[in-house]
Amino acid sequence: MNESASLFVNRLGLKLRQPQVILGLLLLVVLAGLVVVPFLQLVHDTAVWQEADRRMSRLAEPGDWTLFHYLRVFAGPLSVNIFYRPLIHSLATSLTIALTAMLLGGLMAWLVVRTDMPFKKTIAVFAVIPYVLPSYTLALAWLDFFKNERIGGAVGICSYLFGVSPPDWLAYGFVPIVITLSLHYYPFTYLLVSGALVSLDSNLEESGEVLGASRFRILRRITFPLMLPALISAFILTFSRAVGTFGTPYFLGAPVRYFTLSTTIYSSIVNRTPAVAYIGALVLILISMVIIYLNQKVIGEKSFVTIAGKGLLRRVTLLGRWRWPAFSLMAALIGIAVFVPLLLLLWQTLMLYPNDYSLGNLTLHYWIGKSQATLAEGESGILRNAQILGSAWNSICLSVIVALVTGMMGILIGYAVVRGRKTRLAAVLEQGSFLPYLIPSIAFGAIYLALFSKSIGPLPPLYGTFLLLVLVCVAKNLPFSARSGISSMMQVAGELEEAGMMAGATWLQRFRRIILPLTLAGSLSGFILAFISTMRELSLIILLITPETRTLTTMTFRYVEQGYSQFADAIILLIVLLVVGGEFLARRIGGKRETI
Amino acid sequence: MKRSLILALAIVFLTTLSTGILLGQGKFSKETEEWLKKSALGSYETRDYDEKQIYEKAKLEQEVSVYSYSSRVHQFGKTFEKQYPGIKVNGFDMDSTEIVTKVLAEQRAGNFAADVIFLKDPSTVQHELLQKGLVFTYVPPDLKSVLPDRFQKPFLVHHVSIDALIYNTDANKASPVQSLWDLTKPEWKSRVSFPDPVKMPEFIEFLATVVQHGDEMAVEYQRVFGKPIQLSKGVKNAGYEWILRVLKNDAIIAGSTNDVSNAVGQPGQATPPVGITAFSRLRDKEKNPKLAFDVAYDVKPVLGIATEVVVAIVNRAKHPNAAKLMTRWMMGDAKGGQGYKPYFVLGNLAVRTDQPAPKGSRSLAQMNVWMADPAYVWDYGQEIRDFWLANLK
Repeated sequence: MNESASLFVNRLGLKLRQPQVILGLLLLVVLAGLVVVPFLQLVHDTAVWQEADRRMSRLAEPGDWTLFHYLRVFAGPLSVNIFYRPLIHSLATSLTIALTAMLLGGLMAWLVVRTDMPFKKTIAVFAVIPYVLPSYTLALAWLDFFKNERIGGAVGICSYLFGVSPPDWLAYGFVPIVITLSLHYYPFTYLLVSGALVSLDSNLEESGEVLGASRFRILRRITFPLMLPALISAFILTFSRAVGTFGTPYFLGAPVRYFTLSTTIYSSIVNRTPAVAYIGALVLILISMVIIYLNQKVIGEKSFVTIAGKGLLRRVTLLGRWRWPAFSLMAALIGIAVFVPLLLLLWQTLMLYPNDYSLGNLTLHYWIGKSQATLAEGESGILRNAQILGSAWNSICLSVIVALVTGMMGILIGYAVVRGRKTRLAAVLEQGSFLPYLIPSIAFGAIYLALFSKSIGPLPPLYGTFLLLVLVCVAKNLPFSARSGISSMMQVAGELEEAGMMAGATWLQRFRRIILPLTLAGSLSGFILAFISTMRELSLIILLITPETRTLTTMTFRYVEQGYSQFADAIILLIVLLVVGGEFLARRIGGKRETI
Repeated sequence: MKRSLILALAIVFLTTLSTGILLGQGKFSKETEEWLKKSALGSYETRDYDEKQIYEKAKLEQEVSVYSYSSRVHQFGKTFEKQYPGIKVNGFDMDSTEIVTKVLAEQRAGNFAADVIFLKDPSTVQHELLQKGLVFTYVPPDLKSVLPDRFQKPFLVHHVSIDALIYNTDANKASPVQSLWDLTKPEWKSRVSFPDPVKMPEFIEFLATVVQHGDEMAVEYQRVFGKPIQLSKGVKNAGYEWILRVLKNDAIIAGSTNDVSNAVGQPGQATPPVGITAFSRLRDKEKNPKLAFDVAYDVKPVLGIATEVVVAIVNRAKHPNAAKLMTRWMMGDAKGGQGYKPYFVLGNLAVRTDQPAPKGSRSLAQMNVWMADPAYVWDYGQEIRDFWLANLK
C-alpha cells in the first residue's frame, strides 16, 4: 500500500468515527428509500411513454423512451397556455405570498416572544390556526364577501351591505390569492422564527445596548441577522408550499381564467397524464433548488450560534406606547385569518339549508342528529356516525406517530448537517430532505402506490398497511422538520458538546442529555407542523388508504362534492379542535422550557 | 452516493421493465382463467341467476369491497348488509380517476383488494381495464332481458347521468335559451356558467359528443342564424366552432356542478346566468328549497349529453360471489328497489326498461339527448381537451 492510499484510508477511518458522518450516512440511506427512489421514478416517468399516453399519440409505445412530454410542455402549440403563462402567474403569486407571510409571521413572532405586548399568550394560542384550516376556507370566505355579479349566484356581503359591487381585480385573481394565502401561510414563519427567538440570548442584544445602539439599530443589526436562517427557511417553505397549492388559486382564479402551474399539474393528474404533471413538478423543484442554493450562499459561511456555554437570558423589549397598537394589529390579523372563517364555518354547520341565514334555519342535526329519512339522505350527525369517529381515531394515531418520527428525524438531520457543514454529505442531506416538498402531494401518493404495492427485496408489499401511510407522511413532512432541526441546531455551540466529550460522555449520552434538550424547544415547531399537516392531509394519502385506514379528511371531500357543506364543515371544525388540543398538549409536554 | 444512485436507477429500471412485461400480455393468465372458472364468470358464466346458491357461496367469503365514485355506496351497502346477513360491505368512495389508478396498482401488485368497481369515465374503463382483462363484466342473467344491448355490452351500465342546460325560474317564466347556439350570442356574454372540463373529465365527454355531432350542430346553426356556418381558421367542424365561440363569449368557468346550480339558481338576480350542469343537481333544490332553476327541456339540437356509470368485477377478486350479489343488488328491481334506491332520484336515468322514471322526471326514452360514445371519447377526448386549453385565453 502506498503512502497516499494509506493516508486516505486513515482519513476515511477518522471520518467514519465522527458521529455526524455515521449519522449522515444512515440518514442518507433512509432518505434514499423514502425520497430519492420515488423521485427518480418520477424523473424516469417523464421520459417514457405511459399507458394512458395512447390517448394523446398514436405513436405511444408504453415503456419506450420519448421526449413527447417535454416537447408538449416546453415547445408545443399549447406551451404558452399550459406552461409559460401559468408559470409566470405561479411565480408572481408565490413570491409575493412568501414575502408577505414572512413579514406578518416574523412580526408576530417577535411581538409574542420578545415584547410586553398585552394578551400575547392568547395571540400565541391562535397564531397557528390559519394553517389548520383547509387553505381554501379563506378563499371561500373571500368570495362570500367580495363576490360580484360576474359568477352569478348570491351577491357577496360587500355588495349586499354597501351596494357597491367590487371590481373584478379585487374579487378574483392575483390580489385575493396573495392576501388569502399569505394569511394562511404566515404560521410557517411564526413557528420557525419564534422557535429561534426563544433560544436567542438577550446578552447579544444587551451588548449592543451597552455600546449605545438604538433599539431599532439593535433589531436591525443584531436580532434580525440572527434570525436570518429561520426567516429564509420560512421564505423557502412558504414559497414552495404556495407554488404547489391548488385549491385557493383555483377558486379565486378560475372565474377570470387566471390559472397557475399547480392547476395544470392537478388537471394533468386528474386526466391521467401524470408525466406532463411531473415535468411541471420538476420545474418547481428546480426553482426551489436555486433558491436553496442562494440561501446556502447567503448563510453558509456565517455563524448563528446563540446558545453558548453561558446562561441563557431572555429579556423583554418594552413597547411603551406601541403596546396597544401592536396588539390591535395582531388581534385584527387573527380576527380576519381565524375568527371570521371559523365563525362562518360554525354557522354553516348549524344551517338546516345552506345560504339561509335566518334564525329559524338553525339546527344541530349535522352534529348530533339521529338519522332521518327526509334529511341529508338519511345520514346522522357526525358525532353519532361510527365511521367518522373511527376515522378520527385513525387521524389521531397517524398524526402523532408521524409527528414523533418526523420531528426526531428533523433533529438528527439538523445535527448531521450543521456539524458537517460545508461537507458534501451535509449538502446532499439538506437538499435531499427538501425534495418531497415540491413533488405535488397527489403525485407523491401515486408514486408511493406504484413503488410499495409490490415487494422490494425483503420488504413485503406495504400497500394497505398503516406503516405505508406513516412512511409517506414522514417523507412529505421531512422538509419542514429538517429545516426547523437545522435552524435550531445552528444556534447550539459546538463547545457544549465538546464539554460533554471531555467529561467522557458517549455520543448517545451527549445527544440525549445535551443536544436534545437544547434543540427541542426550537424544533418543537417541526413536531407540531408535522402533526397539523398530517391531520389535514388528503391528496397525499387518498390513493394509499383502504377502508380500515381511512382518516377524517377523506370524509370531508365527499360531502363537499355532494353539496353537504354542513357535514364537511363540521368535520373541519372537529379537525381544528383535535389539532388545537394536540398542539396544546405538545407544548405542555415538549415545550417546558418555553416561556411564551 | 454514486453507487446508491446507480442501485436506485437499477431498481427503477427493473420495476418498469417487469410492469411492461406484465401489461404486455395479450391473453388472460393461467391464474385469471382459473379464477374465472371457479367464480363462474366470463365464458364460464351460468345461464340462470340462482340467488340462493350465490348467497350461500358469498357467505363463505364473508365480505365484499366496493370502490365507488359515489358516497352513496354507504347507503346501498347498509341495505345490502341487512338483506344478506353475514356479508360485510367495505364501501370506499373516491374519484373515478383514483379508482382506475388504484385498480391498476393493485393488479400489478397482485394485491386483489377491490371486488367491485363503480365509476364514471367508461372510455378509460374500457381501454385500460376491460380490454386488458383487469376487470370483468357481470350482467346478472335475470336482467339480460330488461337491459338494452348497449347497456350490457361491453360493460354493465348502472345508470345514465345527463349534463344539461339549466336556467333561473325566478327571473324567467320559460327557458330564455332555445338552442345551444344561443349561448354564443352577445346577450349571453359572460353569462354562461360552464364546469371546468379540465378538472372534471365527464365534461370532456360532453364536449367530445358535441364535436362528434358536428354536422347536426351545423344544421342547427343554420336554423338559428338563417345562414350557413363560417368556420374559424383551423377549426374542423361546427362542434369545435361552438366550443370556440362559447369560450370567446367569456363563459365563466366553474369549479364544480354544484357551483353552476348555485350561480344559476339563486333567486333575486336581475340578470342570472344560464349554465351546463349535472341533471341530478335538481336534487339540490331539496337541500336548499330556495334555489330556483330547472332544466331547459326543449333546447335544440339536444337538451344535454348522457354519460354512463359503470359497474364491473375486478380480476381475481377475493370475493367473487359476494361481488355478483352486490352487482345484482345495485341494479335494483322493477320498482326501483332497495339497492338502486339512492340513485332513484331526479336526473339519474335508469337503464332498465322495466323501471319507471323518478317522479317529476321524464324517462330516458322521452328525452332528447345525445349518448356519449366511449370509443369516440377515447379517440378524440385528448384533442378536444387540448383545443379547449389552447383557446382558453
